[in-house]
Amino acid sequence: MEAVEVEEITRVFEPRRRSGTRVVALEEVSLTVPTGEIHGLLGPNGAGKTTLVKILSTVLLPTSGKARVLGHDVVDETEAVRPLIGIVFGGERGLYWRLTGRQNLEYWGALYKLSSRGAKARAQQLLERVGMVDKADERVEEYSRGMKQRLHLARGLMGDGKVLFLDEPTTGMDPLAAREFRSLIGELRDEGRTILLATHDMVEAEMVCDRVTLIDRGKVIATESPRTLGQVLSRFQRIDVEGVPPAVLDEIRAMRGVMSVTAVDGAGTRIEVDEEGATQLVLERLVDAGATSVRTSLPSLEEVYVQLIGERGMEI
Amino acid sequence: MRGLLAGFRLELHVVRANPDSLIPLVTAPLFAIIFLAIVRQGGRSDLEPDALMAPVLMSLWWIALVQAGSMITADRWQAVLEPLIAAPTSLASVLVGRIAFLMCVGLLSFFEVWLAGWLIFGVSIPFEHPLELALTLAATALAMAGAAVAFAALFVMTRNAYTFINSASFPFYVLGGVLVPVAYLPDWIEPVSSVLFLSWSADLLRATLKEPAVDDFWGRLGMVLVLGAITFVLGRAILFYVLHRMRAKGELATA
Repeated sequence: MEAVEVEEITRVFEPRRRSGTRVVALEEVSLTVPTGEIHGLLGPNGAGKTTLVKILSTVLLPTSGKARVLGHDVVDETEAVRPLIGIVFGGERGLYWRLTGRQNLEYWGALYKLSSRGAKARAQQLLERVGMVDKADERVEEYSRGMKQRLHLARGLMGDGKVLFLDEPTTGMDPLAAREFRSLIGELRDEGRTILLATHDMVEAEMVCDRVTLIDRGKVIATESPRTLGQVLSRFQRIDVEGVPPAVLDEIRAMRGVMSVTAVDGAGTRIEVDEEGATQLVLERLVDAGATSVRTSLPSLEEVYVQLIGERGMEI
Repeated sequence: MRGLLAGFRLELHVVRANPDSLIPLVTAPLFAIIFLAIVRQGGRSDLEPDALMAPVLMSLWWIALVQAGSMITADRWQAVLEPLIAAPTSLASVLVGRIAFLMCVGLLSFFEVWLAGWLIFGVSIPFEHPLELALTLAATALAMAGAAVAFAALFVMTRNAYTFINSASFPFYVLGGVLVPVAYLPDWIEPVSSVLFLSWSADLLRATLKEPAVDDFWGRLGMVLVLGAITFVLGRAILFYVLHRMRAKGELATA
């Protein structure tokens, strides 16, 4: 059985005021996540990742389409879905700040129908797991952002959900804590859980996910393994250059793998390549031509999305 | 039942961590002193029990209106509402548990005004019908809890709940006969008051403190419970509607 099935989900936010604009947060999004997979939902802010996570966790209704978690419809069978899922929403909020970390966890344990003793034991176990035992009896308002995020994660695990939805879970964590967190995600998969990880961090997605779905402006662009995705993304590179004669630029424009050569603000030129190895050839020609300034960089995720959309068109 | 207990325990922690929600326990004895002073000055010692009961009802109403009424709104602002909705326990049961704790806190005002009246004016609550008094207080607290569920659901729909909260206290004290028995007010108020459990509670509480025996006690207590239950059912229906609407519009969380 698939852990998560999404079939042509669309979600439109109507404007609250007449002057507002209608926002299509998701447009006929489909994806499946097999049981036991860590699936990344990768996209920039506003891509629709959180909207999808909210629909799957039953807190938001889709405008159209169907979604199921472990075979249960997220709209019609919320009572069956809710005990099966754990949610970690990103950000600092989402906890009772005046309560201690332990009190927060025990409360959520009770909401997941654990006995008082069971909730205490599970809270202790999870506090140890996320390295928060020493701070467990301090008020959440005294926690750092990273500590709150770890407590969020512990809270998401209180219900022992079979499917976990993690929405930007490493936001605010220091690099070490984020690394520990990623290793924890691996442990959770080894326990047989399915994880849907919404993130805008390509490195994070590449490190922990079995497959990644690229999403942008409410549309799925591609679903690939991180390795395949990495290969696709690494093809794209851009070179900003100054002081190159127009004849040389024409020559470069004709080179294999060069996607575009465009003037930038009248001061320089941007060359974009979309084939492995092309960058090196272009750089060699630029140096030979006596370019006064050469700088290479990777395009942003959004720029790559645009390229991917252009390449794949409607078939994706 | 677990949700109810979870809510009860949560509110215990919240109140311990945030004692300003106990303000009605500070104001209740002060109101008792003011009201006792007024009735004494007016030479109406027969109204002393009324003066003592009014602050108790005011405390319970204020807690139901302000503390309980703003619960969902506060959870929404803290971004706790979304994970709460996504949990397997119903929000209504958690809410009732939280409100139940607050009502227990509110009932402490009864003992406070008793103590204040005795210490300052040497006036004690006349326990003419103690069983009836206890039952009426319990029924009133239950009905208040029902009203609080309705308030909580209604307030989350409004952009500025606190304006409504502030304007919904004293009008109800008047309509509910909390400060002055409804019988002393213009006749046209009575039909409105008679559909409020608060007016039945207030009349019954006063009656349990005086001789002779309470007239039609069980019928009147039944009215408090029935009106409270209707308020609760209405509150649950509003809550269900509001949550569905918020899920549909994507308003469970604030930006």
